[in-house]
Amino acid sequence: MSWQHYFPEIWAAQPHECMMLNRIFGLETEYGLLIHEDRPDSSPTWFSQKIRDHLFHVQRRGVLDLHHRGHDEPPGNGGFLTNAGRIYMDMGHLEYASPECHSLTDVVASDRAGDLLLQQTIEQLGFSDRVSLIKNNIDHETDATFGSHENYLVSRRFPFSRRGMAPLVTFLVTRQIFTGSGRVGSAGPQDAWIQMDRLIIPRSTIGARGRASLPFQISQRTDHIVNDFFEWVQHNRAIVNTRDEPLADPNQYRRIHLLLGDSNMTEYATALKLGTTGLVLQLIEEGHAPQDLEINEPVEALQEISQDQERRWSVQLQSHETMSALEIQERFLDCALKYCKGQDEETDWVLAQWASVLHDLHGDYQKLVGRVDWASKLWLLESFREAEHLDWDDPMLKSLDLEYHNLNQAKGLYYGLLDEGRVPRLTTDALIRIAMEEAPKNTRAYGRSALVKHLLKDRSGSEANQLTESGGLFPSYVINWSIFQVRGRAPFPMPDPFRTYLDDVRVHLESVIV
Amino acid sequence: MPERREGPVDPMPKSPPPEEGGGPRRPEPGSPDKDNLMKRMRKVDPKQAERYRQRTGE
Repeated sequence: MSWQHYFPEIWAAQPHECMMLNRIFGLETEYGLLIHEDRPDSSPTWFSQKIRDHLFHVQRRGVLDLHHRGHDEPPGNGGFLTNAGRIYMDMGHLEYASPECHSLTDVVASDRAGDLLLQQTIEQLGFSDRVSLIKNNIDHETDATFGSHENYLVSRRFPFSRRGMAPLVTFLVTRQIFTGSGRVGSAGPQDAWIQMDRLIIPRSTIGARGRASLPFQISQRTDHIVNDFFEWVQHNRAIVNTRDEPLADPNQYRRIHLLLGDSNMTEYATALKLGTTGLVLQLIEEGHAPQDLEINEPVEALQEISQDQERRWSVQLQSHETMSALEIQERFLDCALKYCKGQDEETDWVLAQWASVLHDLHGDYQKLVGRVDWASKLWLLESFREAEHLDWDDPMLKSLDLEYHNLNQAKGLYYGLLDEGRVPRLTTDALIRIAMEEAPKNTRAYGRSALVKHLLKDRSGSEANQLTESGGLFPSYVINWSIFQVRGRAPFPMPDPFRTYLDDVRVHLESVIV
Repeated sequence: MPERREGPVDPMPKSPPPEEGGGPRRPEPGSPDKDNLMKRMRKVDPKQAERYRQRTGE
């Protein structure tokens, strides 16, 4: 019996109809930049800075920071947008952070808004033939990796311990079967490390397959995850990042920051990734998560699942039982159905689609084309390989792999699938255009958006983005996620991401001349 | 966490209703519309993966 028989009333529901209960979501995306020239005069970083500057100085989409946010974020490195998200440079990459969102539809629309803000700027600058923005997480030549980071607000009472988060690790290791974006090959073993029995060792010592022998794997980031828990984000990336930086009242909240996921092109996979993870966090918070599924070597399992060419996805549990990633996901789904079904329409949408995807993963992967990125990409690559009689080591396949993530809608292969009607939408183009300018109206982002618009309005021309300060030591404004200060006024804390602060912000800004 | 809500529950316009039957169309390997995808793929520069050299980020 198909899953539709279990969820006839839910299938038609769209996730926009209700917020997911008590969850704030956010996504941070680092973009790659491809230069279409053999010997370019300029670097990807040069193009990225031009794009950022045009966006703030000419389009006036937001206000650049006037202060040092950190040692690698000097004044002018980036800034907040009118939609209350951020665009900035990070390690040479353009990065976009979505505003705080209280629904899956908002976070998907806000994520796509970032894509479109940057792509439209490339087109306005006349760079379309010279460069492409690639929303992926690896390059095949140097094994560089760059991230897609997820943020989930949880209660401070969340059991943030190795034992408490064991179910989360199990869920995250296995969710890649529907959240992975897929890639050709793998990272070179010379650069790859892995945690085994609390030691981090070179992956080559355990006989891991190198890039030459691996045609395709379902996730891009798994080769670069070497630890289960760790607080830093580069060179020692963990399944769960343990940095305690709630960006909200630290007495009430904690921010679960995940950097193991791939950037998703399909709206469906983006929503399902965030929605299922949000529900599992709820199960853990409420003490309902399955406790008997702890994986024996989670980092090794993460990579083995991704690289399994037979897609059996077997996992060894600490109980010595062997289960498939699919069976483990079904256990989490059963639990979520038992404890979360009916709490709101967005939850029910997630449950229905989670069931649908897991059901279809039992059969031919082609059923997932348009919904799951790795399946969509694999289907395109297999179709091309068959038509052109190519082997998996043909370099053309790596170029097609990249092209799947090209944000140029006339070129990108994801957009080709979209044009052919093979991809379900959770948003509309109109909604994404709104999200480029406006913040969600039910979170702290709304108040910040009012602030950014005020600063832009009160300053003529592009003055708000000029970094030459004449007013003394304190810049005319400082904006952070949970607090801002405008010169001449007291700091304005915004510790609760569930509040909009809109009226208070407006009162605070009255008569302020910046 | 206690339930906390503020502001309109539908802050952005609604998406269009789902297509007939709901959800994505199942792919049909070998169907005619695959030709457009093949054309798009054949236009891809085979050397672009060699040119794509990025800095490691976070």
